[in-house]
Amino acid sequence: MDPITFEIIRHRLYRVVEEAVITLKHVSGSAITNEGHDLMVSLYRADGSLLMGGVGFLHHLTSAAEACKHIIRTFKGNIDEGDVFLLNDPYTAALHTSDIYLVHPIHHQKKLVAWSACFVHVYDIGAMNPGGFSPESRDIYTEGFSSPGIKLVEKGAVRQDVMALLLNMVRSPEMVALDISSMIACGNVARERMLALIDKYGFKTVDRACRSLIDQSETLLRARLKELPDGRWEARQFLDVQGEVYRVTLAMTKKKDTLTFDFTGSSPQSPYGVNCSYWAGWGALFAPLFPLLCYDITWNEGMIRPITMIAPEGTIVNAKRPAPVSIATVGAIQSVNNVACTCIAKMLSASEKYKDEATAVWHGSHVAIFLFGKNQKGGESIGIMTETFGGAGGARAFADGIDLGGEIPNPISRMANVETVEANFPIRYLFRRRTQDSGGPGRFRGGAGGEYAIVPHDAPDGGIHFVVSGKGIQYPMSEGLGGGYPASPCSYQWVHNNEADRARNADAKFAQSVDEMPGRKEPISWGVFPLMGEDSLYVRWNGGGGYGDPLAREPATVLADVRTRVVSRETADRIYGVVLNGDASAVDEPATRARREALRAARFAKAAE
Amino acid sequence: MTRPLSATLDLRESGGARSICCAACGHALADAGQPWKPAATVRERPMVGIAGAPYSTGPKVQLREFFCPGCGALLDTETALPGDPFLTDIVRP
Repeated sequence: MDPITFEIIRHRLYRVVEEAVITLKHVSGSAITNEGHDLMVSLYRADGSLLMGGVGFLHHLTSAAEACKHIIRTFKGNIDEGDVFLLNDPYTAALHTSDIYLVHPIHHQKKLVAWSACFVHVYDIGAMNPGGFSPESRDIYTEGFSSPGIKLVEKGAVRQDVMALLLNMVRSPEMVALDISSMIACGNVARERMLALIDKYGFKTVDRACRSLIDQSETLLRARLKELPDGRWEARQFLDVQGEVYRVTLAMTKKKDTLTFDFTGSSPQSPYGVNCSYWAGWGALFAPLFPLLCYDITWNEGMIRPITMIAPEGTIVNAKRPAPVSIATVGAIQSVNNVACTCIAKMLSASEKYKDEATAVWHGSHVAIFLFGKNQKGGESIGIMTETFGGAGGARAFADGIDLGGEIPNPISRMANVETVEANFPIRYLFRRRTQDSGGPGRFRGGAGGEYAIVPHDAPDGGIHFVVSGKGIQYPMSEGLGGGYPASPCSYQWVHNNEADRARNADAKFAQSVDEMPGRKEPISWGVFPLMGEDSLYVRWNGGGGYGDPLAREPATVLADVRTRVVSRETADRIYGVVLNGDASAVDEPATRARREALRAARFAKAAE
Repeated sequence: MTRPLSATLDLRESGGARSICCAACGHALADAGQPWKPAATVRERPMVGIAGAPYSTGPKVQLREFFCPGCGALLDTETALPGDPFLTDIVRP
C-alpha cells in the first residue's frame, strides 16, 4: 500500500479515538471523567485485538481487548449491527467492577469489521461502600454489580430491562445513567467515524492498513528492543494495608527482541481489595511500557506480541476468584505500574542511545478518597477527591520531575479546581498546595506531591462521609532511580475538633498547614469515616522519585527549591549538602563545599546521620 | 570502550577485561555481567524523617544506599525491610 494512504488512515484512526474521547467528556457529568480523565477509548480489530490505543488509563487498553474477545466467544452468532455490550467482571477482563466497559461492534455492509471499547469509572456500582472502592469488602460478591458480558443495546435500542437492572443496584442511578449514556454516545461516534473512513477508502484498503499498522508496531518495538542491551532487572514494592504488608516483586528479562515480566515471589492474594486479576496485571505492565518504550509507535496488538508475563495464580497480581479486587487500580495494578516503570527505566539507562528516556517512578500511590452524602443543594453526592489524579512527576535523566505532574499510566489525568469540588460537595478547603520535601531528592529532584485539608461546610446533615482506601503510608512507593531517593509517602489524618476555636470565635485564624491545625490528629487509612461538625480531613500525597546522587545537584537549584518552599532549608543542608546564608538569599559556597565533603566522608564511614 | 550500565555505572574494557565501574571515578566494582552491589559500600538506615517531615514511614522501613568505595558517589538506592536481599540488576556484556 502506498505510504501516503497508510499514514492518512493511521491518522484518521487516531482522530476517531480522539473524537470519541471528546464525546465521552461532553456527555459525562462526572468530575472523575472530566477532570480526572479516569476513562479510556480504543479501537479493536474484528477479532478483538487492539488496533489503536487511546489515551486515558493505559492499563485498560489490553484488558478491553480481552473484553471484546470474550464477547465474541460468548455471543457468537448473536452480535448484530447497533448492539452494545456491557462487561465489568474483573475475572473476565475488567480491572474492577466500577470501571464498566461498553463494547461496540462496528459493522460494514452487515459484516463485523471492528470494535470500539470505552470505560469510565461510574458514579457508583452498588458495592458495600459507595463510589466503587470498597475497603470493607472481603470478596467479589460484595463489590457490586458485576457482569461477564450482557447486551445493553440491541440493534440500536437500549434494553430497558438491562438498564433498569443495573440502575436498580447502584446509588445515584441518575448519574450512573449519565455515565452509561456518555459511553454509548462515545461508541456511536467511534462507529460513525470508522464507517466514514471505510466509506472513503474502501474496506479492503482500510483493513490492509490496519493489518500493516499492527505489523509495523511489532516490527518497530522489536527493533527497539534489539537496540537495548540484554539483561535482567529487579524491582519491588510494598503495599501496607491495615497493618499487613504485601509485596509486588518483578524480575524483567530482556532477551534479543523480547521482554518477560516475571512476578514470581509476589505476596499471596490479600483479603483486602488491593489484589488484581490476571488481565489487570497484564494491562498494568503495559501502562508504563506504552509511553516509555513506545512513545513514537502506535499502541496496538503488535506491541503485545514480544511481551510475556509470568504471574503465579493466587498472588496479589493474579488473584483467584472470589478474592476482592475493587481497589486494584490503586492497589496491585499501581504497584505493577511502578515496578515495570523502574525495570524499564533501568534498561533504558543501560543504553547510550536511550538513557535520557529513563525516569524514576511517578506518583507511586494514589490517595483514594470518595465523599458521599447529602449535598448543600438537597441532593446526594458521591465522588472522588480528584487530587489523587494530580500526581507528581518522577525525576528524569535530564530534568526534575514535574510538581503535581500527573502519572505515567494516565498521560491526561488532572485534578479539579477547588471551586469545582466545593460546588459539588458540602465542604470547604482550608488549604491545598505542593508539599514541601515530598519529591525524592536526587541530582534531579522528584516532582512535589500535594496536601489539602477540608472541613464540612453548608452541609444539611452536619457533614459528609468518606471512604478511604489508603496505602503507601508506611512505605514510599515512588522509587528513585540511579541513586535518587524515593519520594515521601502519603498520609491521612482525621483531625478531631479542628474547627472548634473558629466555631467560638469567627476571627480565629484558618489553619494554613497541617502543623497549624489545632485538633487531635488520628491517622486513618482504611474504611468509612464521618467528616462532621468541627472535624477536618487532612490528606497528603506522595511526590515523584529522585534521579541521581543528591550531592551532585547544582547548589543554585537547591537554593531555588528552598526559596520556592519545595525543599526545606534543613533538607537542603542534610541531604543536598547545600548551606545557605542567613536570609536564604544565596548559597554559602565555602560552607557548602565543606558540608558536601563531610557528607561524602560519612559515606565511607557508613555512619548514620 | 565504555558504555553505560545504569545512571551511575559504566562497563569499561581495559586490557581485554571488562568491568563494572563507577561512572564518576572509574573504580572497578565487579566483572562484567556479575552483581556489583556486594562490592559497594552499603549504608542502611531508617527511612523515617530521612529527607524531611513528610517521610513519615513505618519504623522498620530502611533506605539502603550503595556508595562507590572509590569516590563515595551514591550509585543506587533501595527501599527495603531488614534482611531483604539486594535487588540484582544484570546487564549482559
